[in-house]
Amino acid sequence: MAANAPALTFIVLFLPILAAVLAPGLTRFLGDRAAWVLALAPALAFLHFCTFLGEVAGGEVVTGGYAWVPSFNLSFSWFLDGLSLTFALLITGIGTLIVIYSGGYMKGHPDQGRFLAFILLFMGAMLGLVVSDSFLMLFVYWELTSITSFLLIGFDHEREAARRAALQALVVTGGGGLCLLAGLVFLWNITGVTQLSLLVHLENGLRESPFYLAALVLVLAGAFTKSAQFPFHFWLPNAMEAPTPVSAYLHSATMVKAGVYLLMRLNPVMGQTPAWEILLPFFGGITLISGTLLAVRQTDLKLMLAYTTMASLGLLVMLTGFGAPHAVEAAVLYLIAHSLFKGALFMVAGTVDHETGTRDLTKLAGLRAAMPITFGAALLAALSMGGLPLFFGFLAKEEIYTALAAGNPRAVFFTGLAVAGNALMFAIAFAVGLKPFLGPRIETPKHPHEGPAALWLGPVVLAALGLLAALFSGLAHRYVSSPMASAITDQKVTVDITSMPHLGLPLMLSIITMVLGALVYWRLDTARALMVRALENLGPGPDRGFDRLICGLVRLSVAVTRFVQPGRLEIYITATFILLALTLLVPPLVFGELPGVPAWPQNLLVQEAAFLLIALIGILAVVRATDRLTAIVSLGIQGFAVAVIFLLFGAPDLSFTQFMVETLSVVILALVMTRLRLSPRDHRPVGQMLFDAVVATACGLGFTLLLMKSVEAPFDNLLTDFFNAYSKTIAHGANVVNVIIVDFRGTDTLGEIAVVMITGLAVLALIRVRAGSRTGSGEGR
Amino acid sequence: MTAEILSLSLQLSMPEIILAVGALALLMIGVFSGDKSTSTVTGLAVALLLVAGLWLIFMPGEGEAYGGAFMLDPFARFMKVLALIGSIVAMVMSVGRAQSDQLDRFEFPVLLVLSTLGMMLLISANDLIALYLGLELMSLALYVIAAFNRDSIRSTEAGLKYFVLGALSSGMMLYGMSLVYGFTGNTGFDEIAGILSSEPRHMGLIFGMVFVLAGACFKISAVPFHMWTPDVYEGAPTPVTAFFAAGPKVAAMAILVRIVSEAFLPILADWRQIIVFVSIASMLLGSFAAIGQRNIKRLMAYSSIGHMGYALVGLAAGTETGVSGVVLYMTIYMIMTLGTFACIMAMRRKEGGNVENVDDLAGLSSTKPFMAIVLTALMFSMAGIPPLAGFFAKYFVFVAAIEAKLYALAVIGVLSSVVGAYYYLRIVKLMWFDEAQGEFARISGELRLVFGLSGLFVTAYVLFGGPIGTAANAAAKSFF
Repeated sequence: MAANAPALTFIVLFLPILAAVLAPGLTRFLGDRAAWVLALAPALAFLHFCTFLGEVAGGEVVTGGYAWVPSFNLSFSWFLDGLSLTFALLITGIGTLIVIYSGGYMKGHPDQGRFLAFILLFMGAMLGLVVSDSFLMLFVYWELTSITSFLLIGFDHEREAARRAALQALVVTGGGGLCLLAGLVFLWNITGVTQLSLLVHLENGLRESPFYLAALVLVLAGAFTKSAQFPFHFWLPNAMEAPTPVSAYLHSATMVKAGVYLLMRLNPVMGQTPAWEILLPFFGGITLISGTLLAVRQTDLKLMLAYTTMASLGLLVMLTGFGAPHAVEAAVLYLIAHSLFKGALFMVAGTVDHETGTRDLTKLAGLRAAMPITFGAALLAALSMGGLPLFFGFLAKEEIYTALAAGNPRAVFFTGLAVAGNALMFAIAFAVGLKPFLGPRIETPKHPHEGPAALWLGPVVLAALGLLAALFSGLAHRYVSSPMASAITDQKVTVDITSMPHLGLPLMLSIITMVLGALVYWRLDTARALMVRALENLGPGPDRGFDRLICGLVRLSVAVTRFVQPGRLEIYITATFILLALTLLVPPLVFGELPGVPAWPQNLLVQEAAFLLIALIGILAVVRATDRLTAIVSLGIQGFAVAVIFLLFGAPDLSFTQFMVETLSVVILALVMTRLRLSPRDHRPVGQMLFDAVVATACGLGFTLLLMKSVEAPFDNLLTDFFNAYSKTIAHGANVVNVIIVDFRGTDTLGEIAVVMITGLAVLALIRVRAGSRTGSGEGR
Repeated sequence: MTAEILSLSLQLSMPEIILAVGALALLMIGVFSGDKSTSTVTGLAVALLLVAGLWLIFMPGEGEAYGGAFMLDPFARFMKVLALIGSIVAMVMSVGRAQSDQLDRFEFPVLLVLSTLGMMLLISANDLIALYLGLELMSLALYVIAAFNRDSIRSTEAGLKYFVLGALSSGMMLYGMSLVYGFTGNTGFDEIAGILSSEPRHMGLIFGMVFVLAGACFKISAVPFHMWTPDVYEGAPTPVTAFFAAGPKVAAMAILVRIVSEAFLPILADWRQIIVFVSIASMLLGSFAAIGQRNIKRLMAYSSIGHMGYALVGLAAGTETGVSGVVLYMTIYMIMTLGTFACIMAMRRKEGGNVENVDDLAGLSSTKPFMAIVLTALMFSMAGIPPLAGFFAKYFVFVAAIEAKLYALAVIGVLSSVVGAYYYLRIVKLMWFDEAQGEFARISGELRLVFGLSGLFVTAYVLFGGPIGTAANAAAKSFF
């Protein structure tokens, strides 16, 4: 067994995904019995992970992996310690029951195969998430759970609400995932390791790093969005649009706990700092209390459970934040207890909905006779959630109070918070688990009767486990709770709480909780009315805020685009020139690199001044021109003047080229103009013209300054000296310019002539085409 | 001796020679047999590109040619193969649409081959002059094909806009080159680098570099030189747009990488500021402006602006990892883009012809499930959602940026990719959750092949991407 364990684990990790691929085909073939077959995949995985229990309880860590992209030093590697093993067991164990439950719940649904495929796909992703060792793998699986959750929430895509909820969940959790990636990259950069197994045993450095806070905030953003902590909690209740198996599995037992998992995982290296111990309890506490209060106002069974899930996650985050061994033990126990009872209660709610046609609490009563097995499971789960002795929930609650009561003065505040939250959860537990079944029968849309085995198996097993785990608490602690708590604190922790009540403060608090809870349960309708009124006065919550944010984003983008991209060439060109002017003018001004004031040329000849003047007049004429032809000709005047200036300064070759180019441009432009209408005038208003003038002047100024700055640099005489020295000796020519043109750069000259000739030919072609019709190319000559 | 150098040069530039001579031969075939030869010319053009690509892959030999103006190194080889693949795929995809978009003239494939030749020269350019010639050869052909559908006002307008803005940017680039030459006395990249590392830099040289970079940024449509992109993408015939989005982007990015990592490497601190600015501006504009778009081609334009921003994140690092990230990014970007354009070309109603609104994709999952699955994978990949290829592209450039301590850049990049995810996901939502408006006509085989392969690539990259990463690393080693 041990020899092939890595290979086996690798296969097991992909088993759910393989099952997902097979699901649609199998469902077509076997109908709704396919679920029983598909449940084998998680069941086998569950058994496989069970074989590690002894090893991990002994304090060992199981690792394995394969090189993935060796060139980037990436590996596909996993590690199983107490924390990840417990999660793996919860995922595969509850997963088995959920797949079976889905078979019953989605019976006869045309897309049952797709649904099962998505559920199994999610399972594979979630399993990968908790066993991942490398950061990248963790992130990949993290986002995969977001995507599969998106697909599952939006499964019922005919409804607008489901589509909105799916997208919202994806945006919130996916965005959080990206923050997590940034956080992980920070961690890697600070510590230099990319593997969780190495990270958690790191001795020092991380907490002292100046980037610690940034890394923490980013990681928390990932964890809080995933685990629906205030103020990102709004997506979770909306996600209840998904079919009930999804709510039971993703949105209470597994996926939403990924954030808590991450926090627990990072506790040894990032915990026990002031930031950690303030941020986590603070946000956890708010989430706890707001979750329970919001739960009270609901009448929909699923929504009530959803809000208590959010509250429970808040409680877990709060406990993890304290970081003391007792608090961690409490978090571990509560996490396991919660997965068991909340999974069961969600499935019960689904069964009730399935069999009666409604899940409105006010329209349900007296179902105990019609649905005895479901009632039994509901009752057991509610007792555990309420935290009554003999149930695992009780253990968790005792441990919570032990941890809080032993702490410092500020713990008094959080104790009060926990008592209030637990009392309200107690009330909700019995409202969901008891109320629909007691009292006189009310007419429901469908005639209620007990569901098939597939529907009650899951809740019964989970609820019974909540009882058994508490009865055999020694076993549970030895194999599950203690190793997990040890992994979170990175030191040996032994959980030893049993379901025997001990006299003391924790028990007192438990009793207070129960009494308060019973009171709220008794006056539930009053409490609900109170909450409804209070929330109405409070105004819109973050759910609305999300919509507004998205809407605002779209509006802003449209406005920005309309401003920068109106589709008009003039504006694009203006923008380019403005940018050009800024580039040219701003840096010299900022860095003080302006050129010095040039001296007035002493030996300016008359002809030079004259041609400069002509060039200037040409430019002015271009600006003043009222029609295009005048502008082109004026531009030509300026060009010719410049060519003459080149000539005067001893560059006949340059001058020659300039003449050719100017001539050709004028000819071509004029030719084109004769085919266009020449009449259009300048329609710009005065303001626009002034603006354009400013931009043009700024560009001109910029280029002038740049030129002046450039010529300040010493002139490199290398080429001049070379030509002077060798024109006579090598090329046997007295005139340096001639030698350069025909000898040193002979090929260049040939090329230039060729270019000019081809351009001339093209002009000729244009002239001949002129007479042609609009449609023809060269036929009309 | 000279003969030896010449023969070596010819050997190294053989793929380019094949394309150049081939293009001229094709032109002659076209001229003498008229428009009826279009399909023959197209087929031969594809064959030419294929031969050039195979030559590049299988014929050994590396080094400088033509006195250092031309460089064939692993980087050039990789990028050239990429550009050739882009051109081949774009050309194959254009066949089915040639009739309706009036691209069925023999000049069209010839221009595509010439433009591809320009890209290859550009990628290999090791000298400012060679750079400019390659760039112009590529661009002049692009200006013409943008306006190829002369009867369409939108197409003509797109061509004109592209030409005017392109000419402006070329002018700026040339001006910059003259400054660089003036202050270093050289046009070869290696010589420029040598001068820069030994002498204090002059302000004018920085301006020269800024203008050269501006010209390259125009070609990759990075902000603030992006203005042509949405209008040209929307206005040009769709096969032309697909061509624009693939090869030319790769080639321009390649030369940007080469010029900063070779010629201007000694003044890394100076150009890094520019690249960081351009990168941030592109990422932000790309993600925000795309949100309001209704036309899918326009949306792709903004998407490509954003993607160029991400690729530049890697370049800003100025390290081997960074360049390797850029190479990988461009590879994945090009394949995703071609796949998406194949899907866009498949958007064709039985009655009413081609449509290009995002809303026309509504309900695609029920009418064309295969296309919907592929497009979903592509959109997820573009949004950078793991484990698809697009995620790895982003991952490696961000890692490079962080290694270079460019934290702000990396954080802004991640945040803008969150915004960007929104509009990609909107398309996914439309396809899967909304009511179908009507059915698309049968999709032609070549389009299905292209988007099928592209979809396969983005999903299977996580499993088989190793060798591509290794090749990208080898390509990046050319500079460091």
